[in-house]
Parts: sequence; C-alpha cells; structure tokens
Amino acid sequence: MPEFPSGEWFDALAAQANDKADDLAEFGFSNIRLACRINGLPDGDRYFGLRVEGYDVISDGEIDPASWGADCTLEGPAQVWFEMVSNIRENGGADLSHTLNALSLPEIPLRIVSDDPMGRDLFFRYNQTLQEVFDLAAEVPTEMPVTTRPNS
Amino acid sequence: MADLTIDWDYAARVSEGKLDLDWLHSWNHEVGEEIKPSRIGLTMKDIAVGRYGDIPEEAPMRTMAPRGGEREAVMPDMGYTLNKRADVWAENVMDLYEEAVSRQWSATRDIEWSEIPDIDPDLEHALCQVCTVLSEVEMIASDFPAKWMWQINHDYVEAKMFLATQIMDESRHTEVFRKRALAKGAGLGRSRAATEEFLKLILDADNYSEGSALMHLLGEGIVLSLFRAGELLSPSPVEKKIFRLCMQDEARHVAYGTMHLRYALANDPDREGEYHEYLDKGERILAALFTIPEVVEPLMILAAGGEEEAAALGGQAADMLQMRVIEEYLQRCDRAGIDRRSRIQIPGIIGGYDPAEHGVTSEAAMAQATN
Ligand SMILES: [Fe+2]
Ligand SMILES: [Fe+2]
Repeated sequence: MPEFPSGEWFDALAAQANDKADDLAEFGFSNIRLACRINGLPDGDRYFGLRVEGYDVISDGEIDPASWGADCTLEGPAQVWFEMVSNIRENGGADLSHTLNALSLPEIPLRIVSDDPMGRDLFFRYNQTLQEVFDLAAEVPTEMPVTTRPNS
Repeated sequence: MADLTIDWDYAARVSEGKLDLDWLHSWNHEVGEEIKPSRIGLTMKDIAVGRYGDIPEEAPMRTMAPRGGEREAVMPDMGYTLNKRADVWAENVMDLYEEAVSRQWSATRDIEWSEIPDIDPDLEHALCQVCTVLSEVEMIASDFPAKWMWQINHDYVEAKMFLATQIMDESRHTEVFRKRALAKGAGLGRSRAATEEFLKLILDADNYSEGSALMHLLGEGIVLSLFRAGELLSPSPVEKKIFRLCMQDEARHVAYGTMHLRYALANDPDREGEYHEYLDKGERILAALFTIPEVVEPLMILAAGGEEEAAALGGQAADMLQMRVIEEYLQRCDRAGIDRRSRIQIPGIIGGYDPAEHGVTSEAAMAQATN
C-alpha cells in the first residue's frame, strides 16, 4: 500500500485515473503540468509531478521542480494535504470545503503559484478534471502518516 | 460583380460527357505529406501546415474562400473590416477552440437540479441575486463577439471559430444562472443601471480590440475570479459544480483576451496609450460596481453564511475576494504586455477605503467613464 505522499502514491492515482479514462473523457481533454509541493515533511518540502495530456493522466512521481517545467504548482503544508486526502477517502470525494479550488482560493491553506498567469489559469481551465482525478484518491489504498490517523 | 449568367455551352458539353476538369488537372496546392493526428484527434493546429497554415499579416482579399486553396482574381467583397491578423489573433486561439469544443457541457443534463437542498431564505435570495447579476452580464460576452464576428476576415477563421464557442459558452452561462434563480421558486432579483453601463461600454466599443480588452481581459477576468470564489460561496454541491464548470469556460475566454492583447500590442506598440485609456474607463465603472449593494451584499452574505454574519464580518470576505481579483487581473495585464499597476482605477473599496476620498461614487465613475 503506497504511503502518502510518495511517487508510488501519485503513480497509483494516475493509474486509477486511467482506469476511469472514459468517465474523465466526458469533461474533455486537458493539457497541464501540475506540480504538487508538499511542505514541512520530515525530509523537507517535496514535489510531485502530475500531467494531464489530452485524456491521459501521467505521474512523474517525485520531481525536481527546477527542471520539471510545471505550468503551475499547488503548494501548502503537509498537514493540509493529509487532511485533503483523508477527507476525499472518507467521503468518496472532496466535500464542500476540501476541493482543490476551495482550499487554494484565499491562498491559505493551499495556494496555486506560477511565474506565468497563463500557467496559473490552466488550473482553472481544467479544474473539474483535476478535481475528478484527485477525488479518485478515494480508491487508492493509502498508508497515511501516523499523525493524521483519527485520535492520534 | 462576378459573371452569374448561365453558361449554356458548358451545360451542353457536360450533358455530352465532356467535363471541364481544369480544377482537377491543375491541382498544384498540396500541403505536403499526410497529416498525422495528435493524441486527441486531428486538430486545427495539426492541419495548419503548408500554404494553408500560412496566416497572412494582412488579408489580401475580403472573401470567404478558405486560405491555401485557389481563388478567382476577383471575388465578392464580403465587407470585412478586421483584415489584419493583429486585429483578432492570439497565439493560443487554435488550442482554445479545440479545448472549447472538447469541454462543452449541458446546463440541462450535467447539473443535479433535483438535488438542490432547501436553504435559509436569506441565503437563497442572496444566491438568486448573484445569479441575476450573472445572468444579466454573461450575455454581453455573446453579443459582443457576435457584433464583430462577421466583420473578421475569413483568413482568420480560427478566431471566428473560437468566438463562436464563446457565444455558445455564454449562452449556457446565462441559461444556468437563470435556471438556478428560478429552480427553487425564489426567482430573479434586481438589476441596476450601473451594471449595464459597463456592458454598454463593451458593446459600444469603437473597435474590436478595445472591446476585447474591456471584456475578455477586464470584465471576464473579474467574472473568472468570481466563479472561482463560487466554490466558497456555494450553499450546496449543486452550485459548486455550476461555478466550477463556468469557471473553466471563463478561463478560456480570459486566456484568449490576454493573448490577443499581447499579440495586438506586440504588433502595434504605439497603441498602448489607447488601451490604457480604454482600461481606465472600464476600471472606473467596475470600481463603481463594487459599491452597488445588489452586487456586493449577496456575495458577503453567501461568504459569511447569513445576513447577521455578513454584517459582523464587514468587508473582510469582500476584501479578500477583491484583492485576489485585482492582483490576478494585474498579472494578466503584465502578461499581455501592458503595465496597469501604476494606473489601476480599482482601489480597495470595501473595508478601510473611503470611496469619496478617491472620487469613486457610482455617479462620478459613470460620468468620468462615459465622458
Ligand atoms: Fe461567462
Ligand atoms: Fe466569458
């Protein structure tokens, strides 16, 4: 069972998305390179790369942001990422306050950053697709860090 | 005018099986090798190769004949007024057209209309007021492209095709907000003259690029931020989906507007001053819109979760939204190659800002803008 976050976890998420390719195709094609920056992990901040190319979802696992060439980066504290993934897993999809957009709109607790506003706006242009992909985390067997388990 | 007399000699020759075939035997405009479709299918960009892909800076004729084919020396003048590529082009316009076609949705089918919960009447009315304003303003983004579309030279047909998708998108936005306002019986709310002043400014723009800067970049940029905020304002998952689907469409329109202005300015940097003046006008009216109760208060009530909560929060929620809206707009202006940071006419209005100090009242802004 892959641990969140890890390259294997993002690979498993992309595999889930590609299993559901027909459902995702209903929302149309996308073209985005989204970096996910998870801050404050025991070994520092880590970056994972997720691409949607046409109708294919591709995980590049853990990435070096300097060379990966993200259109935009979704970043925030690890605790918030854990909470988002837990929420998706508990509800079968993000609830009203745990969608990618809701969490990043006020720039806290997550935020979407890009040197180029056109790159940032891709996050809005493909938002429904990205949300559908992340909602599939509900179906990815996930080992969550001990600190995020209930009553821990 | 072309010769429209019936060629009886030709008709007689064809009836005897003597075909002309000059069009076939003189075919000399192949584009080259067979085109390989990209992974999403055969796109407009894929086929833009050879002489067909050669998009002229200035259209040589005012005809509907497709680029890259053969034309008679004299063709009917279709009366196009936008005959330069810089008048309408954006580097992303072919991609945006394909994306728009691929990402269409249905306000009838794709929204779970039967799952809207009963909510507090104040929240329902606030939501319906937001839907009223949106349903009112959305259609300008159909009407404005429609007004100019026929005037665009056919050599830039991809820009026309993109605008056709926008016209459809905005029809759907008008539809979906109208449906939501009526779905639970609350109905449509109040419209204000000031809102329509901005719409009129767009519709009455002297030229396409002026109207596009006002609409695609400024107006729709703000609507995009508002749709994005819809995630936080929505009382239920139904509205959340409405806002999210509209947001995707709106981001395409803004992407076109940003890159069109960039293309237009790069080709004619001397016009920067004109664009500044258009945007000054538009921003002043929009600043006034932020002081209209029917625009601001329903957003505050939805963000805070009720009338009393909104009063207690004051301008905090609106402030947050407004600062994001303005910053995102300024970044897009930077990308388009026009620096509005020192000229922005939309100051922070709610919370800590005295409109009178800046001469920003609905009347003053309207007077200034329409002068
Ligand atoms: Fe719209
Ligand atoms: Fe729009």
